[in-house]
Amino acid sequence: MAEPLHPDYPLPDLDDPIMRPFWDGARDGKLVLQRERGSGTVHWPPKPMYWKGGDRLEWFQASGRGRIYSYVVGYEPFLPAFRDLLPLVMVLVELDEGPRLVGYMVNATPEEMRFAMPVRVVFKRLTDRVTLPVWEPAR
Amino acid sequence: MTVDADLFARIQDRIAIVGIGHLPFAKDIGRPIADTAVEAIQLALEDAGLQAEDVDGMSMLEMEDTHEVSIARRLGVRGLRWWSKISYGGGASCATVMHAAAAIASGMASTVVCHRARNRGSRTSRPWSQERVLVRDDKALHTPWGLIRPVDVIGMWAHRHMHEFGTKREHFGNVAIAARKHANRNPHAMMRDRPLDMATYLAGRVIGYPLHFFDCCLETDGALACIVTSVERARDLRRKPALVHSVAQASGPNPVHLANYNNTRTMETTSVFCAKLLWERSALKPADMGCAQIYDAFTPLVITGLEDYGFCKRGEGGPFTEGGRIELGGALPVLTSGGGLSEAYVHGFNLILEAVRQIRGTSTNQVPGCRATLVTGASGVATSALVLRGE
Repeated sequence: MAEPLHPDYPLPDLDDPIMRPFWDGARDGKLVLQRERGSGTVHWPPKPMYWKGGDRLEWFQASGRGRIYSYVVGYEPFLPAFRDLLPLVMVLVELDEGPRLVGYMVNATPEEMRFAMPVRVVFKRLTDRVTLPVWEPAR
Repeated sequence: MTVDADLFARIQDRIAIVGIGHLPFAKDIGRPIADTAVEAIQLALEDAGLQAEDVDGMSMLEMEDTHEVSIARRLGVRGLRWWSKISYGGGASCATVMHAAAAIASGMASTVVCHRARNRGSRTSRPWSQERVLVRDDKALHTPWGLIRPVDVIGMWAHRHMHEFGTKREHFGNVAIAARKHANRNPHAMMRDRPLDMATYLAGRVIGYPLHFFDCCLETDGALACIVTSVERARDLRRKPALVHSVAQASGPNPVHLANYNNTRTMETTSVFCAKLLWERSALKPADMGCAQIYDAFTPLVITGLEDYGFCKRGEGGPFTEGGRIELGGALPVLTSGGGLSEAYVHGFNLILEAVRQIRGTSTNQVPGCRATLVTGASGVATSALVLRGE
């Protein structure tokens, strides 16, 4: 079972049809992204399937690897829901597939952080329905 | 249908800001914005020498909204025939004037009130302190990972800039100190009595690494307004008109609200796209600006803004702030009222009022012979910008 979550934790709306495959994938332990068949262009944020090129869109399992493009560190208790995670290293990961995803680090201290440092995705289960892709150093 | 270039020609130097007004800035103004907005507008009308009966249009920011009809009723406006509400907080400030200018140039209105009333001085009134379960739309792309506070969202840009270009905390400090020095000479500024030196700046506590206390704007209650009309009308009024020379609004490609990190390969801010439109429509160039009011919710935004709007090359914004260049007496004074960092943080609307004062020659930090000035909205979010000039 997931650990009890703070009642104010900002959980994503899983009923958003555009984002649902992303969250469904995370719940299954997969980082999935959307791309165009043929050109391979990856779209982040994803496009709606009724987009003019929607018939060319497909979701695929990404490598789950990338590099730190930038990061910030929250030290102070700014929101009750994140208090237990401090210091919280929030990251912008440039995925091997191209897009930059917002996330946070696990298994790394602020002092260990470096620009361009390789990271890999791990999954943090928040509730029975919501799993969050987060990142750890790829050693 | 292409963009109506002729409309921008009909705006250029033919629409003017003729009145400005604001209430004293405060940590807690003690009145609702539905009330303070009305008084600020009255002050601006008085400044212009106009009556409520002259007003037939209204534009404002959408975030923490005020309502056109109740303001019009309380002011005594005969009837509105055009109004506009603009999204994206600090990105919207200059767009209030752009929309007003477009409405007047196209004959939809003759005299428009642009205004901003905002009560966010108290801690619990800040939107990011009220996150609740089930975040939707763009927020779901960043808030579930704790990236919620604007200081952290902007910190991502700032930290990358430091890494890629060698920008230092001292460069951010130069911005904070320039704004503070100007505020110390502005009796309306919240920080009028508080000097700031580099040692104090550097000793500020970390808020969201790499940003610290003095990198962050104030949180202020305020109500401000300006009056926009045609230059023909302006010539009959009591104040020297500040001519609207160029205006622009831009989202950039693939925009995301706040955590807008995928719109180009090089992580350029929305301001790059806004600046391109602004200068394309302008007969003036960055070098013609006597000073610049660059949106400053956080100090690094001024450094990227100097780059985005063409005052220096990409990556040179940090060194540009050295040697007093951005202070009064320097080559390009920025934030001559103290800006959001040291006068008041009111989503940048105070920057518009200061730009008008610079054109009139009435700023308490007057740049001698200032013939034109730039005002910008927030970078990162979908934004807007404005060039004002004198006749």
